[in-house]
Amino acid sequence: MTSAIELHNVSKSFGETKAVRNLNLEIPQGSMCGFLGPNGAGKSTSIRMIMSIIHPDSGSIQVLGKSAINSKDRIGYLPEERGVYRKMKVSKFIEYIGNLKGLRGVSLRRKVNTWLDRVELPDVHSKKCEELSKGMQQKVQFLAAIIHDPELIILDEPFSGLDPVNARVIGSIIHDLHQEGRTILFSTHVLHQAEQICDRIVMIDQGTKVLDGSLISIQDKFNPRSVVIEPVDTDCSIDLFEGVEYISPINKQNQINLRVNKNTNPVDVLQKIVSTVPVFSAQLARPTLDEIFIEQIAMSRGSEAADAARLELHHA
Amino acid sequence: MRKTLTVAWREFRHTAMTKAFLFGAIVMPILMMGLFIVVAPLLADSNDTPLTGTIIVVAPDDVTKKIQEQITKTPDTLLKITDQLPTSFQTELITSAMKPPTATVDLTIVSASENELETLKNEIRNGTYNGLIVVPESLLENQESEERLEVFIPSNFSPNHTELLTAATSRSVVDVRLQRLGHQPDDIYALVQRPRITATRLSEDGREAKDNEIARRIIPMAFMMLLWIATFTSGNYLLTTTIEEKGNKVMEVLLSAISPMQLLGGKILGQAGVSAVILGMYGSAAFAGLLTFALLDIIPIWHLLLFGFFFIIAYFMVATIMAAVGSAVSELRDAQSLMGPIMLILIIPMVLWPVLAEHPNGIIATVTSFTPPLLPFIMILRITSSTEPVAIWQILLSMGISIGSVLLMVWMCSRIFRIGILMQGKPPSILQLVKWIRQG
Repeated sequence: MTSAIELHNVSKSFGETKAVRNLNLEIPQGSMCGFLGPNGAGKSTSIRMIMSIIHPDSGSIQVLGKSAINSKDRIGYLPEERGVYRKMKVSKFIEYIGNLKGLRGVSLRRKVNTWLDRVELPDVHSKKCEELSKGMQQKVQFLAAIIHDPELIILDEPFSGLDPVNARVIGSIIHDLHQEGRTILFSTHVLHQAEQICDRIVMIDQGTKVLDGSLISIQDKFNPRSVVIEPVDTDCSIDLFEGVEYISPINKQNQINLRVNKNTNPVDVLQKIVSTVPVFSAQLARPTLDEIFIEQIAMSRGSEAADAARLELHHA
Repeated sequence: MRKTLTVAWREFRHTAMTKAFLFGAIVMPILMMGLFIVVAPLLADSNDTPLTGTIIVVAPDDVTKKIQEQITKTPDTLLKITDQLPTSFQTELITSAMKPPTATVDLTIVSASENELETLKNEIRNGTYNGLIVVPESLLENQESEERLEVFIPSNFSPNHTELLTAATSRSVVDVRLQRLGHQPDDIYALVQRPRITATRLSEDGREAKDNEIARRIIPMAFMMLLWIATFTSGNYLLTTTIEEKGNKVMEVLLSAISPMQLLGGKILGQAGVSAVILGMYGSAAFAGLLTFALLDIIPIWHLLLFGFFFIIAYFMVATIMAAVGSAVSELRDAQSLMGPIMLILIIPMVLWPVLAEHPNGIIATVTSFTPPLLPFIMILRITSSTEPVAIWQILLSMGISIGSVLLMVWMCSRIFRIGILMQGKPPSILQLVKWIRQG
């Protein structure tokens, strides 16, 4: 599979701050890739370099088989910092961005109206951007990013500031665009969003790539060695038995987590618990991206940094 | 290039197709042109309403008689204001426009006694008479008398008619003084009439050029002001639109479609169009003025060609400064701190123009006309103010320096712009800008 984005040993510093360090990255064409990391990890700087808005200090970048600057018209980009011309009419703003991407004429105008209908903004084309709510403006910006049918779509925090209904509308369009074969790079620090829609994950921290692969392979790699059961009797008590080092109290979802020690196969523990305790369900736990991320931070920067990251994820 | 032109067209439309711009840059010059073409000739041809009725004079008999004579004379014999104008202003239209209105006068002068003053004032109040003139005898005998001529008129009396009465009365007093000393007033006035003067500058190569006060003072100032208004107005628009784009956070959206250089180029090009419209409109107003007053021949065509060249240079210099400052700051008030020192330099031509116009080949004028970014403003001032042409080598050298400076300033601006447009927060200092130029 050919790559939509290739970064080789890319570094970028701002004064004394090293924002990106020797980043190597390959995003396959047609993938829906989550570009994850905490705030200040270097995600936006990397994306800006991919968009050739800023240039790397060293390393090389290829986008859609060409240098980044020569592929601009084939990329759709929704930046983290949202912006519109406040006094410009909605349709004129999208048309202007379309013009800058090389689109012209009646077909562009028709396309703008079609897309405004699709994002459930049918009556705003002649309104000024400043008259729209923040969520509506965000949908307009999203349209400006995709109006030229780009092959590669880069979305930096596309759901921030959107209510659940509008997030679902945008999410469904992103899904459709992916189904049509477009490559989507989706940057966020809200990891569970990426977990829901991405088939591939790249995680960076302090400007360095810490994870890269398909979601399943990453989850396998970070197997938490846990068994999750939902007992029939919520008042039941389970004693520690061989191979289990910790049993959690029952949570709000009526689930109990059994952590398996290093020398025991979790499948054996699963079989044993099902045979001894009546349960509605029992399964081997899969790690969430949040957990993987925190574990990764703990490995690279220690437990204090991991606690800070946990707090940040909690707020996100 | 197409993307650059798209940005340029948007920039032009956003700036030039607003009510404020249409009023300031289009309607105002049209009104000025209208003033020159329509109102000035109307003023020149206008006659005041006739002055009729009865004027009471309390004065010695010889003064009363003299007032009767003077008041019926045409006003241009009373006030020869236009004779005191510079020669270049003495075109028919200007002089006729500046003369007092030639009102038709049909007045009856009636002599009265000083004792009736209060009664006469009441008669004026109730409209029986049109005016009362009181000339104390002491004014005729002693020039240093502290007594004053007094003219009493109704509250609705026209200012032009008032001027006619006061001028005729004061002139009559002077005439009577002269007559009492045995002189003929007309002879005396003829003697003190100032002769017209023509100053001619003789150059070493044998040419002669009339020293034209308008060419020397007003035209250079007008050229420089035109250059200043056209470049700084659009430069300010460039500053504010750049800050606005940063403030709206739309910059990164634009940069996803175009490069920073395309954006900068488009913005500068778009505002160049705005600047050209301003120049065209105010230039047309000035042209209409010169045409109306038949002064068009005082501007040689090569001055206009050089003005065109230095306009382009001045625009690019101002535009690059404004774009760089606009990209470096996030708010307009932050721009003021950066613009302060720059404006202190750029204001120099405005402050020094009287001196520079008077000594266009002096050392200050010569040196500053080679110094960017003052160069275009000072050079156009020198070229248009000097009745003795500026040396060709100086003009060519100045043009060469200006082209080099523009290229350098565009390069420096592009480096600041590329870094500045994505920066937010605290505005950079001048030193940081220098650092950006080195980094960029």
